[in-house]
Parts: sequence; structure tokens; C-alpha cells
Amino acid sequence: MHFSIERQGQALVASLVGEFDLHSAPKFKQSMAEVFAEYPQLKHLILDVQKVSFIDSSGLGVILGRYREIEEKGGRLFFVRANPQIKRILQLSGFEKISEFANSTEEVLAWIRGQL
Amino acid sequence: MDKGAALMENRNWIKLEFPSDSRNVGFARTAVALFASQLDWTLDELEDIKVAVSEAVSNCVIHAYRLEEGLVKLEVSHDGSSLEILVEDSGVGIPDIELARETGYTSVPEERMGLGFTFMHEYMDEVQVYSEVDKGTRVRMVKKVPERED
Repeated sequence: MHFSIERQGQALVASLVGEFDLHSAPKFKQSMAEVFAEYPQLKHLILDVQKVSFIDSSGLGVILGRYREIEEKGGRLFFVRANPQIKRILQLSGFEKISEFANSTEEVLAWIRGQL
Repeated sequence: MDKGAALMENRNWIKLEFPSDSRNVGFARTAVALFASQLDWTLDELEDIKVAVSEAVSNCVIHAYRLEEGLVKLEVSHDGSSLEILVEDSGVGIPDIELARETGYTSVPEERMGLGFTFMHEYMDEVQVYSEVDKGTRVRMVKKVPERED
């Protein structure tokens, strides 16, 4: 798994590629922690998961950990371009209730700007 | 005799052993999916199998051996109509299996969701867990090929 990270105002946009499991999740967790520590103004997390080919509870656990931190700041979690398989596991694990699904990053960024 | 009938009579199987290294979680689910491809699954069903295997093997790495090295044994077999997966470790064992199977329960709370067994149950038709403290744990999972209309 590899990923890219980009800051957009108060939002962090992370594009994930590949398999997100027990082996790959810690690297993502560490990068997230470093960026959020360096830029405390970040409060929203946008995950582009279009190119995620696999995710299990280890990958979801890292996302949940980050969600708990942004939730304390009043931030929101967004999943962008989730395929049906990813959407199903997100629904099964309860993410549907604590996050939003969107079709594009631009759509989410526009919504965030509208909240300012 | 068609291929399906031959497989019904001749059970096919593989056995793998590997260290409880997180790198092998991906290997294990991919190996099982490749073997399982001998049966007539949809792509979604193959993904379901991969998630179940990933959870079972991750449990060996995190819970059974507590991130220290141990041996994971994986056996997969089919009879042409259903797939059986056995994942076995010789780790710490599970003191209370019913508690461990509850959604949201985890013995290592830091960013674990306690969803491993929930996913196994969701994605497989049968899940059985046998465990003895300080001896190890054996998870048996079965998934049947759904009947499909031609």
C-alpha cells in the first residue's frame, strides 16, 4: 500500500492505493499522526479510497483512531469514491454512521468551504 | 465425468506454515484466494474469503503471539462445492471465546476495532473457534458456493 497526502485548508486529503491491512496500516498511522501534530489546524480527513484494493479491520482501526481525534475538534471524516466492496465493509463496521461518502474530493472541499 | 463431479470425489487441499509476521497476512489471503479460485465464486465472494482469512491470520499475529514470532498453520480444502479453511496457532489461547466473538471486543484496545470475528461470521457461512489457554487457537471457517441460475 502507498498513499499521498495533501493539505487543503482545514482538511487533509489522503489518497490510498493498494491493500490496507495489519502490515501496511502502521505506516499510514504514523504519517497521519505526524501531519496532524505539525498542523493542528487540520480538522477534517478526506480519504480517497478509489484505488484501495483491500481493507480489513486493521486498516479500519487506524482510520477509526484518527476519526476519534478529529471528532474532538469538531471535524468530519469523508470517504471518497468507495467501490461497492469497500462501501460494504465500511457499512458493516459502522463507519456509515460516523462518516460521509462522496463522489469527489472537490465536492467535499466545496462543502467544507460552505461551512466556514 | 465433469470437473465438478470429479472434484466432489477427490477433495483437493493445501497446507501452509509460516511465521506470524505481518507481511504474511497478505500472502495468506492471496494464497487462499488463488486456491479457492478452483471453485465457482463471484469476485465479491472471493473478496469475502480474503477478508475472513486476513482477520484470522491477523489475530494470530496480534493476539496469539502478541507480535512475537510464532508459527501459523493454514489448511484449505474443498470438495467442489464448499471451501474449508483452518487457521491454527500455538499462542496464548482465548480465555473466553464467547467474549472474544462479541462485536467491539478486543484484548488490545489501541486502535483495534474488535471486528475480526464479526467479519469472519459475516463473510463465511460457518465459523468455529477452538481454543485452550497457553496451548493455542484453531479457527475453522466454511463457505459454500451459492447455487446459481444458469
